[in-house]
Amino acid sequence: MFRLDADKKVEFCDGVTRRDFLHAGALGFLGLTLPEFFALKAAGAVDTSKDVNCIQLMLVGGPSQLDTWDMKPDAPASIRGPYKPIKTNVSGVEISEIFPRMAKHADKFALLRSCYHTAAAVHDTGCQMMQTGRLFQGGLESPNYGSVLRFQKGPRGDVPPNVLIPYTIGQLGGNLPHGDTAGFLGKAYDPFVLNADPADPDFKVPDMLPPDYIAAVRVDRRRSWRAEIDKSVAYFEDSNQDAKLMDSTFDQAYTLMTSAKAREAFELTQEPEDVRKRYGMNRFGQGCLLARRLVERGVRFVTVNMFETVFNDITWDIHGSAPFSPISCYRDLVGPMFDNAYSSLLEDLTNQGLLENTLVLATGEFGRTPRINPAGGRDHWPQCWTVVLAGGGIKGGQVVGASDNIGAAPKDRPVMPAHVAATVYKCLGIPIDKELKTPQGRVVRLVDHGFDPIEELLV
Amino acid sequence: MKIRSFLLLAAIGVTLDLPFLIRASQNGQAPPQSTSGKDVPYHQSDMSKPEPTAPRHIQPVAAHPSRSNSPLVKIEILPASMSLVAPRYDQQLVVEGTFADGHQEDLTASATMASSSAQVASVDKSGTAHPQGDGQATITATVGGHRATASVAVKDFATPAPWSFRNDVLPVMTKVGCNSGPCHGAAAGKNGFKLTLRGYDPETDYFTLTHQALARRTDRMEPAKSLILLKPTLAIPHGGGHRFDVGSPEYQVMSGWIAEGMPPPLDSDARVTSIEVLPHEASLEPGAEQQLVVMARFSDDTARDVTRWAKFDSGDEGVATVDANGHVTMHSYGEAPVTVWYQSHVTFARLRIPFPNNLDQAVFKSAPRHNYIDDDILKHLAVLHIPPSHPASDSEFIRRAYLDAAGILPRRGEVESFLEDPSPDKRDLLIDAIMKRPEFVDYWAYKWSDLLLVTSNRLSNDQMWSYYDWIRASVAADKPWDQFVREILTATGNSDENGAANYWIVHRDPLDTSENVAQAFLGITITCAHCHNHPLAKWTQKDYYGMANLFARVRLKTFAPGGSRAGVGPLFNDVTVYSAPTGEFTDDRFMMVLPPKPLDATPLPLEATGDTRVYFAKWLTAGDNPFFARNIVNRVWRNFMGRGLVEPVDDLRDTNPSTNDELLSALTADFVAHHFDIDYLIRTIMQSATYQTSSEPLKENADDDKFGSHYVIKRLPAEVLLDAYSEVTQEPEKFDGYPVGMRALQLPDTAVKSYFLDAFGRPPRQQTRESERTSVPTITQALHIINGDTLNDKLRAPGGTIDMLLKLGFADDEIVNYLYLAALSRYPTDSEREALVKALDTAEPQQAPGVDDPRRAALVDMSWALLTSEEFMFNH
Repeated sequence: MFRLDADKKVEFCDGVTRRDFLHAGALGFLGLTLPEFFALKAAGAVDTSKDVNCIQLMLVGGPSQLDTWDMKPDAPASIRGPYKPIKTNVSGVEISEIFPRMAKHADKFALLRSCYHTAAAVHDTGCQMMQTGRLFQGGLESPNYGSVLRFQKGPRGDVPPNVLIPYTIGQLGGNLPHGDTAGFLGKAYDPFVLNADPADPDFKVPDMLPPDYIAAVRVDRRRSWRAEIDKSVAYFEDSNQDAKLMDSTFDQAYTLMTSAKAREAFELTQEPEDVRKRYGMNRFGQGCLLARRLVERGVRFVTVNMFETVFNDITWDIHGSAPFSPISCYRDLVGPMFDNAYSSLLEDLTNQGLLENTLVLATGEFGRTPRINPAGGRDHWPQCWTVVLAGGGIKGGQVVGASDNIGAAPKDRPVMPAHVAATVYKCLGIPIDKELKTPQGRVVRLVDHGFDPIEELLV
Repeated sequence: MKIRSFLLLAAIGVTLDLPFLIRASQNGQAPPQSTSGKDVPYHQSDMSKPEPTAPRHIQPVAAHPSRSNSPLVKIEILPASMSLVAPRYDQQLVVEGTFADGHQEDLTASATMASSSAQVASVDKSGTAHPQGDGQATITATVGGHRATASVAVKDFATPAPWSFRNDVLPVMTKVGCNSGPCHGAAAGKNGFKLTLRGYDPETDYFTLTHQALARRTDRMEPAKSLILLKPTLAIPHGGGHRFDVGSPEYQVMSGWIAEGMPPPLDSDARVTSIEVLPHEASLEPGAEQQLVVMARFSDDTARDVTRWAKFDSGDEGVATVDANGHVTMHSYGEAPVTVWYQSHVTFARLRIPFPNNLDQAVFKSAPRHNYIDDDILKHLAVLHIPPSHPASDSEFIRRAYLDAAGILPRRGEVESFLEDPSPDKRDLLIDAIMKRPEFVDYWAYKWSDLLLVTSNRLSNDQMWSYYDWIRASVAADKPWDQFVREILTATGNSDENGAANYWIVHRDPLDTSENVAQAFLGITITCAHCHNHPLAKWTQKDYYGMANLFARVRLKTFAPGGSRAGVGPLFNDVTVYSAPTGEFTDDRFMMVLPPKPLDATPLPLEATGDTRVYFAKWLTAGDNPFFARNIVNRVWRNFMGRGLVEPVDDLRDTNPSTNDELLSALTADFVAHHFDIDYLIRTIMQSATYQTSSEPLKENADDDKFGSHYVIKRLPAEVLLDAYSEVTQEPEKFDGYPVGMRALQLPDTAVKSYFLDAFGRPPRQQTRESERTSVPTITQALHIINGDTLNDKLRAPGGTIDMLLKLGFADDEIVNYLYLAALSRYPTDSEREALVKALDTAEPQQAPGVDDPRRAALVDMSWALLTSEEFMFNH
């Protein structure tokens, strides 16, 4: 059966062959031909180190600060919980024993132990704030970091600039939006949602390739007939934004289908088996691996949602009773899942020299109650939690901020989600006082006035 | 779509433009660029426009030569008469000229101005009149032989009233932005200094300024040492930066008020009763500048120039921009409402540049007019010099009418007989016929289900059906809108027996209910007033919490568990909705019970017993409620015209003007006079010549998408598109838990699993908000259409349309004819038919891999091309 991705020679109607087409794409992810690239590099116009990417790992459910990155071994048992701290490769920095691999990379990441928010202690609000820097109020839905980056810088090459893996967050109980869209910037800047499980043995991007029964020659003639039919309504695209956008989305879809670079970016099977195993053969592990592949190939921003819900799934949301998770899952399942994926991601990005250009932001939507509840779990606690940052201009090997002796409140350098947002935008090279405009004409600062980047975190 | 150039671009890998990279590396901020050779609007140019940080001194109006050769007919001085109370208040004058071709110009700069008595008032070159002493004077302006006068009366010159906190100090602070949302007006204040947003609570602000922070903010012994003067002038550091200069009028007001002993706001202060902007309306030329003058009238019968303290905003910055001083610059053709706010009052100046079309008035006189809608639209178009497009063809009309009113395509036979029908009133007859169809009921029941949030995410299956059935039966009976809404709002009883009662199961929290009710039935957003007075409308926090208290007595009673749903919690069947005789809502803001009050209406006494919703429903659905009928008229208009007369449709407020006030008012009055009859409203809109214009713009009206010169194309809604695919391919969709053949628009629920519907923007029905539904094209949609299983499976399924045509032995040209009629409701033109038949001739012998029947495959591919074409995907 012939497929578009098969390495066969196919005649296109304009005489360009498939093979020519595939081979012409070298450096395509930079969108430049080779001589142009070097000419620009010589002129100092291309400075890839300044073009920072970002991978945001949304640790949905809300990891407990006390059982992960802000341990309180000296606190009473009812507070310190079941896990012990271990040393890392940075002296003086300790993290939970549930992350043995991560402990070997403490020189690469920074722990921000004093993040808090004051909105309602439901998952949805924290998701909004950690992905946009702002609580959604008064009908104002702020864009997430990736959408702003896309809005500012557009795509790079054939790949979509902003990708969300694997699915959008579903119900978290609050019936509120989660801050993973372009919000008031408009749908045109929304992330490209993968809508598939990268750990699935048959994983592929939905609809990325034609079904087997539609051969390339048919895709081609369909496309040209469609163009022929639309000739009679050429005025649509001349006079209407949506029609123009539809035409452009069809072009982008065909680019994705026919660009070797773009398709290859999504082909996890090209990763050696041992690499795939190193990340963990689960949805999050493979999601992180896919994120790395995408960033390598020109995607600017990738969101990886670790979970899509907190109901009837084993997640960070350790209330201790059904339908939520028990605290033991941190050791048995969730902890190792994160440890393997995160550590592998930092290792690979470092080895490829990409960590410098790639901010990796790992955060939950809040922390958890210092005191263990009667069900043996911990409940929601937005008053204090830890955010983990690495790469992309972040100075690793350090702890910024501190919580009090039971991890209940910031003791030193309290910061809010908007400070984290300001730091992210600073790393991405977007001025935080940039003014965006809503469709209603309301002017909104990228980050609210008074929230500055956390300078201690930066190189 | 240009395949050749697309492939070429992709092949050489040029996907970023070079200047972009250079600029990006220079300033770390990137401008927009194109992708894959296609321009995508990554960035709108006005995004980086900074808001003025502080008002500048009013600039003299620059002289600008008239671009037309039309002679000046007359001039006038605005305002024509004024009484100046104290030496503290000047008066800006504008000399407005009218030319023979109807356009206006601000001639202040070129006018010679003189006062009849220098002892009473002087006038300077910028056109500002300064009081000099009590008495009467006349100011004369002369331009090119034309002359105009204005009268000035000055009194109480020697004994000026002290500066007023309410009417002088607060307007200064509002204008320079002290109490704006991002600064000290934030809910948490800024750096310990917290003012009420835009000064809505003068007493609190007075206390904050004079008593808090050890009274350092205002120093009555040495006014110049007051923090509120040191900070904004940057004598000492100020996080908010420089706001005004020492000695500026702002400084004079603030320091003067402090020096005069800081008189507090009093109940006896004069209040603003109205504001007026001059000129109220003008037709200007491109590049023209126009100074606006804002007059405020007070309750003590005085009036004065508050231009300097008013806030201005342009409704369309492509047409006109306005600076902080009310100085307008006109840019391109069109009409912009310039909003003016002073204290809590709002008004507009409608400024336009008529399009540069040399039109004979006969264009408008001879344009078809079917009812009053066309009169109002054509009147406005004539002022703007925009000609209407020609009428839509019968093919365009039948497809458009079926899709907009009933969400279905006309069948091929229906198209053919409509096209052949010679009767002159066939369009009106068609409208009536569509409105009698069950699909018409499905369509509007679906629409109101969006508005009323019918979803199994919040209701048990029985409740959802009961709710939906009630809505559908109401539509089928053409229940008057006021009655429909009244029945919902006062619903009681068992949720399975009275479908309307389910509104109260979906909306449980008084605040949430209050916000959704306002959104759905009034088209207004009151959410802002949750934390502070609404900054853009008149709603106060007391209105907000008083309104919520109307919904505090609703109770739900149940004994029958209906299961649990993840993320939603327990669901119950057999819920009984009733109103407790007493009960109230205590808000978290005032920490007290406010009397139940429908927004700004008279409150119910707190001690009143019974169902407070009845009082609300009566207020809401009254014929003279300014928002109730307007809201639904605007929503129905948008369904057909693609854009509300006020847009967005759920944001009706004084500061969001309509594009055609006369029309919206006329439609609303007509709707109320016809007893809130939705079907009557639909018929009126559909019968208008305005609705029946072609979507093809003329050269002269191509830039218009909101004044009604032509029909604006819109992508088919998700459900309509899916149903249309099922219909044309004769391959119905199967939804989980619903019988085969049930159309998407017949579903009572938007939680039914469907990749297609979600990808194409079906609303989740979580919030009452029009923008929940989207028709914006995405890559996901394109990929799904090209490669996905929805359309491809329908096309290849055996026994569908193509197989039927093959079985009937149709030739290629007959098949092309058939498909055009079924999909596009028209016959192909001869050249279209020839081109496609020729393409089929070439393709049919080709043995594509995996294909058994090459002719069938080619016809399937042709169907695909038709069903994904823009002509199909858009209603036009």
